[in-house]
Amino acid sequence: MATDNAADDSAKLKILKDALYEEMRQHGSETRLFTQRDLLDLNIVPNQNVMLLVRVVQGLCDDKLLVGTTNHHAGLAWRWRSREEAKKYTSLPNDETVMVYSIIDEAGADGIWNRTIKNKLNMHEAVVKNCIKYLESKGYIASMKNVEHPNKKMYIKATLRPSERATGGPWFTEGELDTAFIQELEGIVFEYIKTKSAYRGTQPQSSVSSGAPVKAPKKGTILGSDPASRGVKRSATEISTDDGTPAPSSRTAAGSGASKSRAVYLPMPAGYKHYPTVAEIAKFIHDTGITNNTTLSQADIQQLVDVLTYDGLVEPVYSSASGSNGRRRVRGYRVTRAMKQDTVPFHKRQKEREAGVGLDKPPVVGAEPLTNGLTEAPCGRCPVFELCEEGGPVSPSKCVYFLEWLDLEDSAAAAVPPARAAAAISVELPP
Amino acid sequence: MLVTKPLAELCALLIDELHGELPSRIFAMLLTKGRSTVPQLAQYTSMTPRQIRHGLAVLHQHNLLYYHVDASSDLAFYEANPENAYNLIRTGKILEMVETSFGAPAKDVVQSLLLSGQTRISDLVAAYKEKIDHATKEAAANGEEADWAAETNGINGDAPSTNKAGPVVKSTAHLNSILCRLVEAELIEVVHSTTFESPQDVQKIVEKEVMDKFFPAGVKGNKAKIEFQEKMAEGLRKVRAESKSLKRKLEQQGSGIKRRKLMENLAMAVTNGNHEEDLDPVLDPRQVIRINYEKCLVDLRNRRLVQFATDMYGETTAYVYGVLLKLLTKDLPRCRQDPLADVSEDKHDAEKPFLVTTDLILDNLKTSVDLSLGIGKAERRQVSRSVAERVEPYPPARRTFLDEAEVEGEASADEDEEDDESSEGSEEDEEDYKPVANGEANGVNGTNGARVKFAGAGGAAKEPRRLDRPTQLRQHLLLLCESTQHFVRHCGPDEWTVDFPALLRSLRETELDTVIERKCGRQGLRLARILRSKGKLEEKALPNVALMRKPELQQKMLEMQSAGFVWVQEVPRDLKADVKKSFFLWFCDVERSLGQMLANSYTTMVHCMQVLEALRYKERDVLETTKRTDVRGREKDAMRKEYYERYSRYLDCERKLFAQMMRLDDLVSVLRDF
Ligand code: SF4
Repeated sequence: MATDNAADDSAKLKILKDALYEEMRQHGSETRLFTQRDLLDLNIVPNQNVMLLVRVVQGLCDDKLLVGTTNHHAGLAWRWRSREEAKKYTSLPNDETVMVYSIIDEAGADGIWNRTIKNKLNMHEAVVKNCIKYLESKGYIASMKNVEHPNKKMYIKATLRPSERATGGPWFTEGELDTAFIQELEGIVFEYIKTKSAYRGTQPQSSVSSGAPVKAPKKGTILGSDPASRGVKRSATEISTDDGTPAPSSRTAAGSGASKSRAVYLPMPAGYKHYPTVAEIAKFIHDTGITNNTTLSQADIQQLVDVLTYDGLVEPVYSSASGSNGRRRVRGYRVTRAMKQDTVPFHKRQKEREAGVGLDKPPVVGAEPLTNGLTEAPCGRCPVFELCEEGGPVSPSKCVYFLEWLDLEDSAAAAVPPARAAAAISVELPP
Repeated sequence: MLVTKPLAELCALLIDELHGELPSRIFAMLLTKGRSTVPQLAQYTSMTPRQIRHGLAVLHQHNLLYYHVDASSDLAFYEANPENAYNLIRTGKILEMVETSFGAPAKDVVQSLLLSGQTRISDLVAAYKEKIDHATKEAAANGEEADWAAETNGINGDAPSTNKAGPVVKSTAHLNSILCRLVEAELIEVVHSTTFESPQDVQKIVEKEVMDKFFPAGVKGNKAKIEFQEKMAEGLRKVRAESKSLKRKLEQQGSGIKRRKLMENLAMAVTNGNHEEDLDPVLDPRQVIRINYEKCLVDLRNRRLVQFATDMYGETTAYVYGVLLKLLTKDLPRCRQDPLADVSEDKHDAEKPFLVTTDLILDNLKTSVDLSLGIGKAERRQVSRSVAERVEPYPPARRTFLDEAEVEGEASADEDEEDDESSEGSEEDEEDYKPVANGEANGVNGTNGARVKFAGAGGAAKEPRRLDRPTQLRQHLLLLCESTQHFVRHCGPDEWTVDFPALLRSLRETELDTVIERKCGRQGLRLARILRSKGKLEEKALPNVALMRKPELQQKMLEMQSAGFVWVQEVPRDLKADVKKSFFLWFCDVERSLGQMLANSYTTMVHCMQVLEALRYKERDVLETTKRTDVRGREKDAMRKEYYERYSRYLDCERKLFAQMMRLDDLVSVLRDF
């Protein structure tokens, strides 16, 4: 009778278990937490019998089909687990392995550090290692990299993809910042902003730079009383300003009739309303489909544009636009120093790069950097600047950088030795 | 001016270069020892008092000294004037500037003044008279050639040929007229009794006067303090005004100025101005005059700013800007206000607003300049007039460096935009149209009417619309207003001004960025600017913003740290201050970086001079040859080919080095003086 009762009981329990499990699956996803009240209200366990419910739930927990957690508002609660998952659990050889697997399971998509596992479970390192090895060999878990802690050995359930936080978002490939991808994209974004924020026009080329007369050397007794000595070193881009005298009287922009015109980018008039916004840039990038398997959100594009801003290549401009909900301020971006931009189209430059031309330039071309007295003189980029002093180990009078800069490299060797020089003088002396 | 070691060295080298070793040594000693008497100097330098006196005379002649005679002991104390010593390097630039704005003859006069230091007008006249007499004799022999040559000179303003082509200054009347104009422009000032007192002494003298006269019982209470400050400022300004006495006299006589103004507008280089020189009053021959560097700096600053505008926008816009600056700063005596003397000048400012109108600029633009260049074309409805034409009556408040523009737009624009927009309504075209009409209020009727029809009929103009000149001019000005660098402020309808402090701040920052980019690359610049806009950041926060790999970033930061562009601060996590657990915050102190850049510029200039020195030593045999009287002036023929080549190569290097020093001076000026 008793055994009969017991068998009957367990059969009944099994039915109840199955029914409860199925009903829970109907009522929510794997992450939903069910409190005791919720479970009773499913009306599987007859008569709101709490004792019976506890037994059913206990049984399900033993089968690994339910996971109990303590939730801080609701108290004790449960969520269900899929049958395959549960099978994995039940197939594990011992309790330690189960514990290790469950802690990795709980860590979810962020993964967990093996040291944390050890500390949380308070187990011996060798034991943890064994369990991990077993689980890995079964293909239940996989090791992963977290960009925030690149040196930590992390594990994740093999069925999960690492979370964005762990992979670092779209800029990372296998835990490494994908700088090539970023640079390429920066180049495209920059080109887009450039072409959309500046006007491609032509400008007559002034003929100042041509035909500077060759002057016979003369004495420079007063410092620079010689105007030709100004602005010897200027960047080649400033074709028509290389006389260094931007004083109003010296320039006739359209004066010379024989001037050729060249393509330039021109700044837009003040108040221009159509500087590209981040949303537009994002749409453009999406439409081109260059980022085929990575989806970039507006925030990601904003990040890129910010970098370009910090690089001094573009700058934000505020304008207003009318939208459905009235006027609002819009932040667009425009290229800085439009007139100094490269006018060769992007695809041509890309072809050039493929052919190996201009590889020394950054992929985001931008305007030629400005220069000033310090950047031009050798001292401005001299590695031993701090030590350099007349009478010291490095000194201006022995400076090789300056010799190079003055194109005198060879003259050091070719200089006439003093003895011969003296002879030369005596030859030249009038009798 | 704080005199650091490299600066002191530089000054001494410059004096050595121009005035010889003796004055240079005395000057260096004065810089290190402070104010001294002749016997003291003799002791420091172990030279004879005679030598010292001689050196001091040279220094004094060239305005490189201050001295103070102590009334009680009758001793003269000498002090170095490092500002003027440094100014020696600007000689070339000042000459060039004078030439472009006043013509070659004026340049010649300024050059003589610079060469001989302070000069009595009568002496200057005598010197020129001799030159002119000499030249006319020659000219008589050569027919009219000299005359002709002088004329071409005036036109192309090419300095090198001036000397052989007869006198640029044709007569003493011509000289007088040139001097008058330079005095009016404040480029020449009068030397007077307090000129050679050091600024501190001047302050003391004025203070004593004020105390004796107004506060015999001492300054008590806040009100008296303010009054005292005002009186001090007044006194200091009076001293300053003394050096303008000639100008004042000219103004009282009110002669040629008005007439000349007309001429000025026509051409800035009225070189052969026979027409009006008789109108100028003869300057008092007893006055001693010298170059006023302060005013020269104002003009040099204008040029630098035009260059800046060229870099940022383009030549046409920069040209317009140059005209604006020239008009705006005509009466500006100095770049930076004196904190003591200019305290109560605000009242004075209020009477005479510091601005230029569109019409005035228009009147001063050269007709040959095509204003349609340099700005892109946009259809009218793509441009928001209300944003572009926004009037900002007040200068920007001081803000952080990088985000200035950004924050500003947010702060100031919000409110006025609200009412702007509401008035704008739906018919944008119409709204757009109004200001254009305003801008053209000053005439140009014919074209105006035609254009209106065109716009009305065409609606959206596919073809580029032809704008008339005032509108084009306004476009350039508005473009400058919109800049993040604060080139121009639209301070009232059709009124424009420049906020120099804000503009120069951004120029300085740009110079710093240039150096950072050159030294640490674009990524270095990126990191520095991130820190500048975000303040202090922990190292962990940086890679995400900069999109850089951690190891590279760390290396960059260290590189920047050793270059003096960024600094790190350690913040302990707890009381134990365990280094391993501390936060490390990176930050960027722009002022400090700029200071360091200034010091580096001085040092680099010193290096240039030293390299030149070494070069001269190496080529001493060649250089000695060129000093011989039979070689001088005809080096090419008199020297052997190999020698001549070495000589010309040396001259090339010299030129290059001097040019480099001037470029460095550009930087120093921006950092220190403008
Ligand atoms: S070694 Fe040459 S380049 Fe370097 S600091 Fe000295 S002089 Fe300048």
